[in-house]
Amino acid sequence: MNRSRSPLAKIGKALQIFLLLFYAVFALFPLLWMFIMSIKPDSQMLTTTFIFTPTLENYATVLHSDYMQFFCNNLIVSVAAVLVSLVVGVPAAYALARFQFKGKEDIAFTILSFRFAPEILVILPLYLIYQRLGLYDTYFGLIWVYQLITLPLLIWILRGFFEDISPDIEAAAQLDGYSWWQVFLRVLLPLVKPGLVAAGLLCFIFAWNSFTFPLLLSNNVQTSTVIALRYLASDTVHYGQVAAAAAISALPEVILALLIQKHLVRGLSFGAVKG
Amino acid sequence: MAYARRRRFRPYLVLAPALILTIGIFIPFLAAICLSFTNYSLNSSDVSFVGFDNYLSMLQSPDFWHSLWITIQYAFFCTTVEMLLGIGVALLLNDENIVARFLRIVLIFPLMIAPVIGTLIWKLITNPSVGILVGPMQLIGLGDFKWGASPDTAMFSLVVVDAWVYTPFVIILVLAGLRSLPKSPYEAALIDGGSAWFVFKNLTLPMLAPVLLITLVFRLMLSLQEFSIIFALTEGGPGDSTMSLSLQAYNRAFPFYGLAEAIPMMLFLWALVYLVSFILIGFWRRAQQRAAGVA
Amino acid sequence: MASILLTGLTKFYGKRRGVEDVTLEVGDQEFLTVFGPAGAGKTTTLSLIAGIVTPDRGSVRIGDRTVDGLEPADRNVAMVFESYALYPQFTVYENMAFPLKSPKHHLPAAEVEQRVRHFATMLKIDHLLNRPIQALSNGQRQRTALGRALVRRPDVFLMDEPLSHLDAKLRHSMRAELKEMRGQLGTTTIYVTHDYLEAMSLGDRVAVINHGKILQVGKPEEVYFHPATVEVAQLFGDPEINMVDAKLRNRQATSVRVQALGEEWSLPITADISSALDRVTGDTVRLGFRPADVVVGGNGNSNLRGVVYSFEPLGTKSVLTIDSVAGQRVRALVDGHRSFDVDRRIEFGVPASSLIFFDPESTRYLVRSARTEGDD
Repeated sequence: MNRSRSPLAKIGKALQIFLLLFYAVFALFPLLWMFIMSIKPDSQMLTTTFIFTPTLENYATVLHSDYMQFFCNNLIVSVAAVLVSLVVGVPAAYALARFQFKGKEDIAFTILSFRFAPEILVILPLYLIYQRLGLYDTYFGLIWVYQLITLPLLIWILRGFFEDISPDIEAAAQLDGYSWWQVFLRVLLPLVKPGLVAAGLLCFIFAWNSFTFPLLLSNNVQTSTVIALRYLASDTVHYGQVAAAAAISALPEVILALLIQKHLVRGLSFGAVKG
Repeated sequence: MAYARRRRFRPYLVLAPALILTIGIFIPFLAAICLSFTNYSLNSSDVSFVGFDNYLSMLQSPDFWHSLWITIQYAFFCTTVEMLLGIGVALLLNDENIVARFLRIVLIFPLMIAPVIGTLIWKLITNPSVGILVGPMQLIGLGDFKWGASPDTAMFSLVVVDAWVYTPFVIILVLAGLRSLPKSPYEAALIDGGSAWFVFKNLTLPMLAPVLLITLVFRLMLSLQEFSIIFALTEGGPGDSTMSLSLQAYNRAFPFYGLAEAIPMMLFLWALVYLVSFILIGFWRRAQQRAAGVA
Repeated sequence: MASILLTGLTKFYGKRRGVEDVTLEVGDQEFLTVFGPAGAGKTTTLSLIAGIVTPDRGSVRIGDRTVDGLEPADRNVAMVFESYALYPQFTVYENMAFPLKSPKHHLPAAEVEQRVRHFATMLKIDHLLNRPIQALSNGQRQRTALGRALVRRPDVFLMDEPLSHLDAKLRHSMRAELKEMRGQLGTTTIYVTHDYLEAMSLGDRVAVINHGKILQVGKPEEVYFHPATVEVAQLFGDPEINMVDAKLRNRQATSVRVQALGEEWSLPITADISSALDRVTGDTVRLGFRPADVVVGGNGNSNLRGVVYSFEPLGTKSVLTIDSVAGQRVRALVDGHRSFDVDRRIEFGVPASSLIFFDPESTRYLVRSARTEGDD
């Protein structure tokens, strides 16, 4: 693509930047506004827009309320769900990448299709089953159902990473005197470590964001995502506190998002697109 | 040869844990199917088999068709807006100016935040008393734009929120696709002398097709069964102006206890999603092979 | 004792034939080269011996034990992969030390270090021991792969085209080094290549393989001068051997009239050639003759006529392609000092001693005149 210095090109460039800025505002301003609201005292909420005296009292209130309990719940359930998915999904990803066996692609597609299943479809019968089995409103119940979100993602991402490793390396390690399991642990896992990290973080983000499952399959063991919405629905709304709650809930993922920049494309497309 | 046998079973052994979990997911699914043939309700204790009654009443119910229409509308609008906007922004971002470099890093944020939280933020922004958008909306003459509160504007509001959350998804994937395009076919076309349109139609599009298709599949499939955003913004209302199938089923089952009636709707939706994704993924695989032939 | 015996090895990948009915014997300390074009089944054969792949049928013996039920780790076989298969996360030292630390070998740290250094010095990579392998050149990687195989002191070496990704000069020098190393180590080796010069210069014996089947096994000169089939003759030699159909008439005890390349001439033959020709039904044979044996230019020996089609000077030799009177193309290798214009009329000949006779139907080797000392 040639770069001419003609005036038309310069206008085109300026237009390009203008349009990008336009989208940037669209994408980022709401977040900025949320942050602004979270440091605005209730007294000035209705009267001011950008000029006010910032305060941390909203955050203080939220942090000392029972909101933090829900924040921790979310943390526990999400981390545990990811760990379970790792233990179960890593070998499965390897099997789908390496072994040739009947029904391989069908199994792979079925696992992928879980992601597309309507959440409500699964929740309705699960609600009944959970009630009967006593899994309703438990950590274990949520961790189990979160697998619907985290497992397909993890398996498909890691499958791509395993496929990238030359099978010769495994053969070489076996010839060097290592059993299949030792090859898996000592040679393969270190090689897919970046994939593990990326997939793990992405799964964590999606688990953290999950709304429908905790809403309907849990009551007291609730996650911060659901609680934040309940705040808004209550009668006397302290908008500043709602904004602060939202900000606190969103903070972990913003940080994690910056960490997984490199593997984002692979992760989001479930390994279908290699970034 | 004992070890040959051991080898043949290895794949299944290794997959076993995942398969067990998979079965764990199939069970509710099968349970759902069974339940759909009963009159199970959350507030009565007697259950009886009613055959296809639930399915028939679903097909005869105007609510179902209305919800189907709403679902299709929602999916169509969201996917179209996000694909067009996403591709456009991705093309603009495929550049090395300062804004592009900055934006490439931060545009992920709307996507990473829980859609519900995102909806929450939009509710705050458009709130008539404290929302920041009140002023600008007045400026362009839409001072009493009701956003999620009015049946006329509810769908529009939903699409805005959905687009805000999910456009980055399209951007990131399409941008990755653009950046991975090999240079040599373009250099060859330059030497052979092809017009810009020719190059776009015969080189760029086929090579980009797999990425575009997979992005389309993901967005379409997920927007067809979107629940959180609609629930958080309008709960299906006002009235039933945004009552998608997912929300309809939720309403039937929970506030109104008609679990068995809700399931056929969801099974229908799931079948629709599965079928469309199956077809589209077939296109995607073929597009991948063709792209490999071009490049 | 580390002889190798392959019996009836067969491996199909779905419908695709990897190898079929491969039977091969390699003596203790022998260096066997396996030669064949891409896709011939060379890598499959090595994988079967190493145990990476299980055969559909057939068996493998190494030394005095059958290794069929054994995992690769238990066979005491080392392999140098075409892709080198080095461990990307390790340095050169760690790559070479890895096999020695395995549960199979489990050597004490001091001995590991000593062995790694010994072979690294032999391979001239001792100054690279702490380098990560990403920082190595192709040639250095190849030596590291070789070193990793050597440190184990295995019963058998398997080498899968180790030199094919090196540039020509490096390949040449590595070949010489390999020969020297071979002398020092004396381990049974199977060396796979698609380069026939490598096959001939390195191997005690050569096994020719194509389409999954072994075509011929023998000493390099045997395969070159007495190829078992037309296919083997064509695989060996560059430029490719000339093959023509010939009609034989009037066969006597010491001569026969040959009709080929649009001409007819009288060919002197010996008794063995005559009796071999008895086995042919019909009067046609396939004749093969190497470009290097073609005599170009008149000096009484040239009884065939043709027109120069192309002329490629290559330094010490040049390749001359001639259109014969009947239209068939004949390739000749001539001395580099001579030059020929395209479209020039020319005379050439094929000495009787360089003709190889093949059965026209089975394409199997029939006979050739015996080579005497000084023949070339």
